[in-house]
Amino acid sequence: MDRIACISLPLFPLAARLRSEPELSREALVVVEGNGNAARVVAGNRLARSAGIKPGLTLPQARALCPKLVARSRDEECERAAQEALLEVAERFSPRVEDTGEGTAFLDVNGIERHFKGDSPELDLGRSLIAAAEAEGLPARVGIASSKLAARIAAGLPDSPVVVPPGQEAEILAPLPLARLSPEVEMAETLERWGVRSIGDFAKLPQARVASRLGSRGRDLHATARGIDPRPIIPREPPPAFHEGMTLEWPLVSLEPFLFVSRAALERLAQRLESCGLACIRLELTLRLEPEGHQTRSIDLPAPTRDVKTLLTLVRLDLEARPPGAPVVGFTFAAQPDRPREAQLSLYGPAALSPDKLATTLARLFALLGPDRVGSPRVVDGHQPERFSLVEFTPPPPPEVRRAPRAGRGLLAARVLRPPVALEVLTDEPAPAAPTEEAPPVEVRPVTTEESEKRPKIEGAVKVASGPWGLEDGWWSEAPADRDYWDVELTAGGLYRLYRDRATGEWFADGIYD
Amino acid sequence: MARPWREIPESEPEPESGAAPVPAALQRVRSALPEELRSRLRSARELDRTLRDEEEEHPPLVTAVPALDRLLDGGLPRGHLVELVGGRTSGRFSTLLSALAAATSIGETAALVDLGDALDPAAAAALGVDLERLLWVRPTDLKEALGSAEMLIGAGFALVVLDLGAPPVRGGRGVEAGWLRLARSARSHGSALLVGSPYRVSGTAASAVLKASRPRTLWQGGAGAPWLLGGLSARIEVEKHRRRLPGQSEGLELTAMEAPPLPAPPAPRPAAPAEERTEREAAWPTPLRAAGGRR
Repeated sequence: MDRIACISLPLFPLAARLRSEPELSREALVVVEGNGNAARVVAGNRLARSAGIKPGLTLPQARALCPKLVARSRDEECERAAQEALLEVAERFSPRVEDTGEGTAFLDVNGIERHFKGDSPELDLGRSLIAAAEAEGLPARVGIASSKLAARIAAGLPDSPVVVPPGQEAEILAPLPLARLSPEVEMAETLERWGVRSIGDFAKLPQARVASRLGSRGRDLHATARGIDPRPIIPREPPPAFHEGMTLEWPLVSLEPFLFVSRAALERLAQRLESCGLACIRLELTLRLEPEGHQTRSIDLPAPTRDVKTLLTLVRLDLEARPPGAPVVGFTFAAQPDRPREAQLSLYGPAALSPDKLATTLARLFALLGPDRVGSPRVVDGHQPERFSLVEFTPPPPPEVRRAPRAGRGLLAARVLRPPVALEVLTDEPAPAAPTEEAPPVEVRPVTTEESEKRPKIEGAVKVASGPWGLEDGWWSEAPADRDYWDVELTAGGLYRLYRDRATGEWFADGIYD
Repeated sequence: MARPWREIPESEPEPESGAAPVPAALQRVRSALPEELRSRLRSARELDRTLRDEEEEHPPLVTAVPALDRLLDGGLPRGHLVELVGGRTSGRFSTLLSALAAATSIGETAALVDLGDALDPAAAAALGVDLERLLWVRPTDLKEALGSAEMLIGAGFALVVLDLGAPPVRGGRGVEAGWLRLARSARSHGSALLVGSPYRVSGTAASAVLKASRPRTLWQGGAGAPWLLGGLSARIEVEKHRRRLPGQSEGLELTAMEAPPLPAPPAPRPAAPAEERTEREAAWPTPLRAAGGRR
């Protein structure tokens, strides 16, 4: 016989609100639906209920009973996030979880109780479910039975968790009113005329007679009343993204208050990702603006991370670069999950970088400098010294054993000057024997521009000049390079790589040998 | 309120068996100190032993630049900031790249914080840098460079090289507190931090300061033949080191790099008049005898 657990959040709108704003638990709090004075109480916490506030009262009536009442409207974003968090808690215990919405989920717990070694394994399973939900800020109740209806009803009973032994579902259901079976209006009227008031009364009726009088729907309802629920669990698909967000009580126009409320949402998001063993590879932020409209922006991460500080920094930088342009009245974060990078530790080789730390560091460097200034360099085909490309930094795993370092090559490298420094160069007269030959530079002077103060100053008489070395590259492209290179040592010191652009005749320094 | 000092006892406690003898005066001072401070008071010998133990546990990172390895007792000490000072054409940048090449050749991951945006990946590869294990960070000023270096140290990179480029340095010298913070970060994470700068910047934060000086360019050719760059000769000198006296130096020889074949240079020009040539060559450095691998 199948065993099904129902995990349920009583007063779901209130539980979802308190998960997003836990500091409100010390206040008399109600969640209302509707606008202005017509708003009606949907749920209230213990302090509000002790003041006599009940669901259905209007907000002015509730305030008359409790002047210090804090009212919050129902928030779809909070409820969606709370529901997702509840499903994730359930998925930690069972791979087959059905999402029924409104703070309720069913789990297929066949065989799961074997992981619990106590006298009553199913009771221990229920307690573990409640503890896991409470760790996520969700005050859950649990019922375990052989049918969905019985499990749901058991979850609504006091002294949670409640376990209904197999075959005793009908006894649990018997005293409940017939309305709990949610019969169709016409069928409910018929049963009313028959004098059937409770589920137990209905279950006592002969099955064949019920089927002949009420049809197939009546037969199914009768089976449910006897504790036989033919509806199977419909497992949910794994979610494509994790959502967290909320509707704000008042519009926000500045960045800092928004980041303050965002941090709490990102912390909840990171906690959920961590509980699933996942990290965020792409973060989408949807802002709801006043008076209407919304704006969506996405932040791609160089590697999966769930570091809240990094995510918040990226959000800050994105909002600073592209302000929303209108007051924000609500927001939603959607984190696209990915498996965090794993690394195999080596016993004898050099230590590998922690993938999680590396991902966080890269994201922070991206935020600080921009993606075009961080990466692993690569050689690009061609001859121009300033060429380069950057690729994503994914270092290969370190060798299994420590190697001896390679002997140094003792080569002289050049510092590339990006962009090249413009120069004024005086050249020698061409030799009479070779009038077409390029004349060597004899003196170098800087070209004064606004930017020249910030560039290396290259000035002086030439001591030795070696060249010219022709370079022709990319003649087929829009920016061809046609240059004559010279290695030049100045009398004041310094060894430079100069070139003359053959097309324009201008001189530049594009490297310093160092 | 200040904690009252205890009186120094008359009798001296015996040293623990197996441990090196502790001076009696130190024993007495220690016994008078509160419990939590006793272990923090060390004699010079104890401190030296502790530091040696640390070095044995974390061997230095070999740079494969003989001069640097000799002056630093085997390589870059892990958890310390080493500053290499050198002007233009002093061999500083080539030395930094060689250190990166050595670190990546043993499988370590390394990072270059390149404030001057001066790296030529082709040249780095020619020097032996494993580009897959190198993270290149191109900040735009010193503040960003220091922040980036601290992040990289925190991520666990074995070697972080911070090159400030050719003067003028964007962002000036920075404040000493920033360098101290960087050195402390390197110490706590065990990363080797090598800073290349045109002038001293790290103040008291550096464990060792070396200076590349007296560079001399080596040329081939002359006497009618075209001049070819042969390399560079400089000396690396100790300015500050725990175990070495300032002024100790080692020679640094760098050979010009081979490049892809390019068209041959033009034919040699007719030799200058004898007296002119003599004058010019007297002013120029001695031509390099060994064949340099110049393009």
